[in-house]
Amino acid sequence: MRTGRIAGGVLVVAGAATALEASTFDVAFMTDPVGPKALPYLVATMLAVAGLSALLQPEGEPALPGRPAVARMAGALLAFLAYAALLPLLGFFTSTTLVVTVLSLLYGGPLPASVGSAALLSGGLWLLFVQALSLPLPVGDLWIR
Amino acid sequence: MSHLLGGFAVALEPLNVALALVGVGTGTFVGMLPGIGPINAIAILIPVTFAAGMPPESALILLVGIYYGSQYGNSISTILLNVPGTASAVVTAIDGHAMTRSGRAGPALAVSAISSFVGGTLSIFGLALFAPILSDWAIRFGPAEYFALMVFAFSALSSFAGGSLVRALASTGFGLWLATVGLDPNSAIPRFTFGRIELLDGMDFVVVTIGLFAVSEVFHLLEERRDGSAETAVTGRVMVSLRELAMSAWTMIRASLIGFLVGVLPGAGSTIASFLAYSTEERVAGRSGRFGEGDIRGVAAPEAANNASVSGALIPLLTLGVPGSGTTAVLLGALLGLGITPGPLLLEEQPDLFWGLAASMYVGNAFLILLNLPLVGIFVRALTVPRWILIPGVAALAFVAVYAVAGSAFDLVLMTLFGVVGYIMRKLVFPLAPVILGLVLGPLMEKNLRRAMALSGGDWSVLFESGIAVTLWGLAAASLLAPFAVRRLAREVPAEMASEEH
Repeated sequence: MRTGRIAGGVLVVAGAATALEASTFDVAFMTDPVGPKALPYLVATMLAVAGLSALLQPEGEPALPGRPAVARMAGALLAFLAYAALLPLLGFFTSTTLVVTVLSLLYGGPLPASVGSAALLSGGLWLLFVQALSLPLPVGDLWIR
Repeated sequence: MSHLLGGFAVALEPLNVALALVGVGTGTFVGMLPGIGPINAIAILIPVTFAAGMPPESALILLVGIYYGSQYGNSISTILLNVPGTASAVVTAIDGHAMTRSGRAGPALAVSAISSFVGGTLSIFGLALFAPILSDWAIRFGPAEYFALMVFAFSALSSFAGGSLVRALASTGFGLWLATVGLDPNSAIPRFTFGRIELLDGMDFVVVTIGLFAVSEVFHLLEERRDGSAETAVTGRVMVSLRELAMSAWTMIRASLIGFLVGVLPGAGSTIASFLAYSTEERVAGRSGRFGEGDIRGVAAPEAANNASVSGALIPLLTLGVPGSGTTAVLLGALLGLGITPGPLLLEEQPDLFWGLAASMYVGNAFLILLNLPLVGIFVRALTVPRWILIPGVAALAFVAVYAVAGSAFDLVLMTLFGVVGYIMRKLVFPLAPVILGLVLGPLMEKNLRRAMALSGGDWSVLFESGIAVTLWGLAAASLLAPFAVRRLAREVPAEMASEEH
């Protein structure tokens, strides 16, 4: 009930924000009779209708994860964001090995084996993409300087 | 048929044979592993095909190979572990796992591979036969008809997705909103870019798809702490007696027909095809059947049907340029990225692409029967790879693929955000496929609407003028009522299963 209502509220707010933002899409001269506002307004209506009906008729409660699971997921989220920050700095091999090790540990892998499999994987992907497919992956600013 | 023979000239080029093998092998693998569907594998490989500079027909042979290959693999874990590899194998679990419990896993795997082959190969004839007919018909489509057709695709996917129409409406709206992000192509004003230059080009469907499907799965699987590896062994040889095969021959043929026809319908897809085929066969068998207790026809029917549905689903994708599911929407995105515009002119202008693909599906199905009969033991062993190796590996592939799209770390942040959104949507049972369909189809829908209105000088009645357009609007309305009819015909499709339809 409660999460259904929250979701409905979020959708209504998103619909309103979309419509509000779309109302600023003014163009000096119209190149076509429809203009850039029509689809955003349609989207706003869809979101609002779905949100209102979820508010009025909220459905069953999902099984919420327990505290340890939330902690593991938060760890994974941080690892993903850290990857985006580390990749340009440390390069593909080092940052992928680090982050994949963290993810393996979160999934309950033993430490030495997690480091080993992460390093093997990162090295393998580097060989496959950079050497075989000549797809440029960052080497890392830290090592170049 | 001479066209199809010409297609073999393309399909039998060494590169294309190798790519078909890689595609169907990957497909079998990801189809088998619960949680890693074909949509993830296809989205991850798209930037690779772009970067490698593959010709379009070769890229398509690889990507479509993953799609139909996954319909073979999905029955392996279903039969052995009672854990469906993809939603379209859910119904295979009933009799397939019952056979395993009674020590007949070998015959179950064998009949599943054989009926997949029958469904896969028979339906290619349907593809070769009906695609040209639909092309000829669709050549008369103008922008108004295309707009109506796309509305039909959205309403069909929403209604067949299972679960509530309201949630499907929200998902579709979210997808269309994502489609508007970036510079408006007509007036060149930025829409919903939050002042980020990275967003001026719009949301990349690869980043969104990998985030919504692959990354959200990485989060989702962290909820249950158990070692994903399982003790599995194929008991007995993967063989089936000729008597049992003869018994299910008609089942396979009927199920292939059902699967193909359901596949052509937008939105319906392989899950509904397999449920409909199973319940039809249950009815045909009547009292003589042992459905639910390990009847071999209960494995043959859904496996033939879900493979046949793939060929069916390719028809609207290639001849109309309008996909009916999340996976085919991703394939449309790939085609557009390769500079191919699917539509009624495709068969005439790019015969090598269409007929080469059709012919390569025979090559791929021949590989698949080899991979899934004598070599099935190799794939079964992959089920014992522990989750702490497998899932972080998927994350690493997602990193490479998303970075390859534009070489930007911003896309990695965006992917992570979509992973969180996808996780929340899964939790609250919002279907994910309509988001992808909205994102890929949204720009085309807006373009056709604006073109139709520009031609009519702003008169909205142009949308309802032609007979074809009115028919399509009627179909769109009817599709919203269709689930009630299907529910009467087919065994109930569990809502949470159908909403995972890729």
